Formats: sequence, structure tokens, C-alpha cells
Amino acid sequence: MKALEDLILKIGKVDRRWIFLVLAIAVFIPIIKPIGMPIRATETTKVVFNTIENLPENSKVLVSIEYSPSTKPENHPMTISILRHLFRNNHKVFVTCLWPDGQFMAQDALKQVAEEEFGKVYGEDYVFLGFRPGNEAVIKGIVSNIRKLYTVDVYQTKIDEIPLMDGIKNFKDFAFLFSCSAGYPGTVEWVQYAADPTGVPMSSGVTSIQVNEVMPYVQSGQMKGVLAGMPGAAEYEALMGQKGFATSGMDAQSIAHLVIVLFIILGNAAFFIERKRSRKY
Amino acid sequence: MSMTVILGAWIAVFLTFGIFSYLYKDNPFYKTAEHLFVGISAGYWASIFFWTQIQPNLFGRLWPSSEFSAESLWYKIYNGLSFLSTSVFPPGGIDKGHDMHLSYLIPFALGIMMLLSLIPKLNWFARWGIAYTVGMAAGLRAYGYLNSNVLGQIKGTAASFTDPNMPFFSLTSVSTFNSLVILVGTITGLLYFYFSKEHKGVLGKASKVGIYFLMISFGASFGFAVMGRISLLIGRFVDLIKYSAGDYNNATLWVLVIMLIILGYDAFKSRKTPPVNEEAV
Repeated sequence: MKALEDLILKIGKVDRRWIFLVLAIAVFIPIIKPIGMPIRATETTKVVFNTIENLPENSKVLVSIEYSPSTKPENHPMTISILRHLFRNNHKVFVTCLWPDGQFMAQDALKQVAEEEFGKVYGEDYVFLGFRPGNEAVIKGIVSNIRKLYTVDVYQTKIDEIPLMDGIKNFKDFAFLFSCSAGYPGTVEWVQYAADPTGVPMSSGVTSIQVNEVMPYVQSGQMKGVLAGMPGAAEYEALMGQKGFATSGMDAQSIAHLVIVLFIILGNAAFFIERKRSRKY
Repeated sequence: MSMTVILGAWIAVFLTFGIFSYLYKDNPFYKTAEHLFVGISAGYWASIFFWTQIQPNLFGRLWPSSEFSAESLWYKIYNGLSFLSTSVFPPGGIDKGHDMHLSYLIPFALGIMMLLSLIPKLNWFARWGIAYTVGMAAGLRAYGYLNSNVLGQIKGTAASFTDPNMPFFSLTSVSTFNSLVILVGTITGLLYFYFSKEHKGVLGKASKVGIYFLMISFGASFGFAVMGRISLLIGRFVDLIKYSAGDYNNATLWVLVIMLIILGYDAFKSRKTPPVNEEAV
């Protein structure tokens, strides 16, 4: 027993850099050799899927991109899956960005899904309005008069010359909003300044770190479900029946979690053993 | 594959390893990556803000092409500005679909006042711009928080316990038990932050229950934070694996080996050099 306690104490005092190395190996191996762990959609993901599935054909959907390359592994698979779902069901998509870097993320996703996978026509099936600075003021602008805020799209084409923009005056002209968010401004601001005051339904895909912040809005019905981090994106890919980046990353995610849990247990055990011994002597 | 793509991959690999190298210790690779990130981000944001807001939405409303008149004094000033830059002030006015709104001179003046903070003698002007921004943001947020976070959340907490269709217990959906947990958690959590009375007796016990709810919430936040960071690590690893291919001239392997040799040599050298005794100096 004493030998085991000594071993745990030794592990508890190990240089943190060894822990980083073990974690890196734990993430690296499953990426090279995937295990193929099963992915089951949670209720919050299913709600997002069903909300989009139940939209009538040709619905006008606003997709807002609020993330940068730093959270691409979590947010980008969500954007791609949501765009796939919307275009597969023949909805009209309007893309805005509250983050400047989001413009490039949206451009990348639209090129892959709208152009290459579905061959959708710009200006008739989708519009890319792009980024405007101003955080929640931009949301307020979209809610009150989108044409005042966006006089040109991202390609500098006048809004009046884009056929899909006909009849779009403000946020109430959209049937649904999906916000793919990594922080401020993002999902919370869309709930506060757009969805709640107008009653237009919205869902969101957020980074893991934001889940606790937005979950109260889901439980109170202010948001129709949420895609929670990379697992949420993987679940959506499973519901869509089209595996992607998030699915391939879930094995590494699960193994890394097990390693972290193990380190937490060992760290706590070392703490309690040390405390017990210090009291004894 | 084009040279620019390969060069981009090498830069991405170098910067990724540069940031990761901080896990070993602070070093020049990390410093280089950090400084590049800060500088490029600032430049990128400034450029995006100017070309998406200041040029089209501010200058475009002050000197729109729709009301251009070479005879008017206002457009003579504009023609003068055209000498500075024809891309910012193109000949014949700015064509971004706006009418003239001279009221935009007020935000223009406030913006210039903000920039005056760079001049020590005139930096008091910046207070006007800051005062406007703070006042506007406070007013805007007060409404959003009151509506969505206070009223919306109170509605969500006040679940109907008399609904005959609601199950008593459910792990995934709304149930009487879950509503009770939310109700107790909300009340006891709020009581923990009630400091007008000493936490003794019933109040003490209730606030202790509140602490447990808060601790569970912090635990969930920590778990999600770990999940998010692992997702980002997976994203970087996937890119590093991609760039290790022959198409990219084995960028990952080369950069890793070179960095390890340099850091290893530095560690070896610093071990041989005795530490300087500052007091003796």
C-alpha cells in the first residue's frame, strides 16, 4: 500500500511538461488510427436538426458567422453541416458576419457547400452580406432595417440589384436564424436583440466554452436547441448522415478526456495522501 | 501545388510549433509567433473596419455619388480629398447606394476626437467619443439584459407544475423534477449572494445548497473549457499531419526537427553556463 502511495505521490509531483507530452500522444494516436466510437445525437442537437427539417421549402434563413480561425475545428464543421442541411432542403440562405475573420470562414464554407457540392446560384439561392463592425448595434440594424446597414454585399454589388434581397427589409422577414458563434458578439446578443424582441426562432452552434452560458436560453425556450462544441458538430454530421471533420476528431476527444480524468484523479489522490502524511507527522 | 500554398503551410507550421514551444518554456520562437499574431491582427482589423464601415457607410453617406455636383463647396472639399487617395475617395463621389446624410458628421467628429487621444495636449477630446460609446452601449445592453436575461429567464424558471402532461422525471426533456431542481438552484444561488444578513440558520443552510449548485456549474464550465481546448488541439494536429506530407515538402517534420535542435542546443548551453549571481554583481 505504501509503495502505491509513494508512486501516486511521485506522479503528483511530475513536471507538467510530461503531462503535456502524454496528452499530445493521447490526441495524436487516435487521429492517425481512428477507433470509430459511436456518436449518438443529444436532445439539444436533435432539436436544431428538427427545427430546420420542419421549415417550409424556400424559407429565408439568416446564417450569422461569428468565429475566427482560432476556433475553426469546433465551429466550421457546424457551419458546413448547417449549410448542407439548408441547401439540401432548398432554403434561401443569407449570410452575415459579426466578426471580421468570420467573413473568410463563411467564404470558405459557402465555396465548399453552395458552389462545389450543391451548385447553387449566387443572388438567387444565397447571398453573402459579409461583415459590418458595431457588435450588437449591427444586430439592432438588421432587426430594424437591414437595407440601411447593408447597401452592398461582400462583393460590393448593390443590394437592390440582388434578386434574393427583394422583399427583405428587416429581421422579421427571415423564417429562422442560425448563429455559429465563438464569443462576443454572438449567440447571446442575437437572443437579446433579435430573437427575443421579434419572436423569430433561432438556433446556435457554439464553442464548448460557451455552452454553459447559452444553455439557459435553450432550457427556457428562447433558443431552439444548440450544437455544443465539436461533439455537437459530430452529432449533427451523424444526423445528416455525412461524416466530416468533427466525427473524425471525436475519437481523439474521447481519449484525451479519459487521460485528463485520470490525471485529475491521480492529482487529487496525491493531494490527499500528502495531507494525510503531513497530519501524521 | 503552387509555391504560395507551400510557403503558407511552412509559415503555419512554424507559427503553430512556435506557440506550442511555450509549453516547454518561454523562447524566441514563441515570442516571434506572439508578436506576429498581435501585429497582424491589429493591422487586419483596422483594414477590415475601414473598408467595411468607414469608407462605405461613413464617407459613402457624406459624399454619395448620387448627389455629386462639381460646383458645390461640399464636393470641392471631396475633390480635394481625392488627391490623397482615389481608392478611398473615387472621382464623382462614393457609390455605395446611400443618400446624403450630413448628420453623419457627428460620428465622424467623435471618431476624430477618439484619434486625438494620441496627442497628449488634446487627448481630453477622446472623452467625448468614449462617453458616447459608453452611454450608447449601456443603454443598449440594459434593455437586452432586462428582456432576455431577467424576464426571459424568470419565465423559464417558473415552470408549470400543474401540467398533467409533464412527466415527473426525465433526463433529457422538461419534467417536474428538473423544474424543481432549477427552481431550488436559482433561489439558493441567489441567496448565496445575499449579504445583508449573516449566513446563519435557514439562510446559512440555503446558501450552502447554493454553493453546491455553483460548484456544479463551475465544474461543468471547466469540463466544457477542457473539451474546447482539446478540440482546438485536434484541429492543429490535423493540419500538422496534413502539412507533413511530401506535397508540402514535409514542412512539419523539418520545422519540428530544426526547432528541437535549436531549443535542445539552447538548453544544453544554459546548463553549462553557471547562473549569474546578481547580488555579487
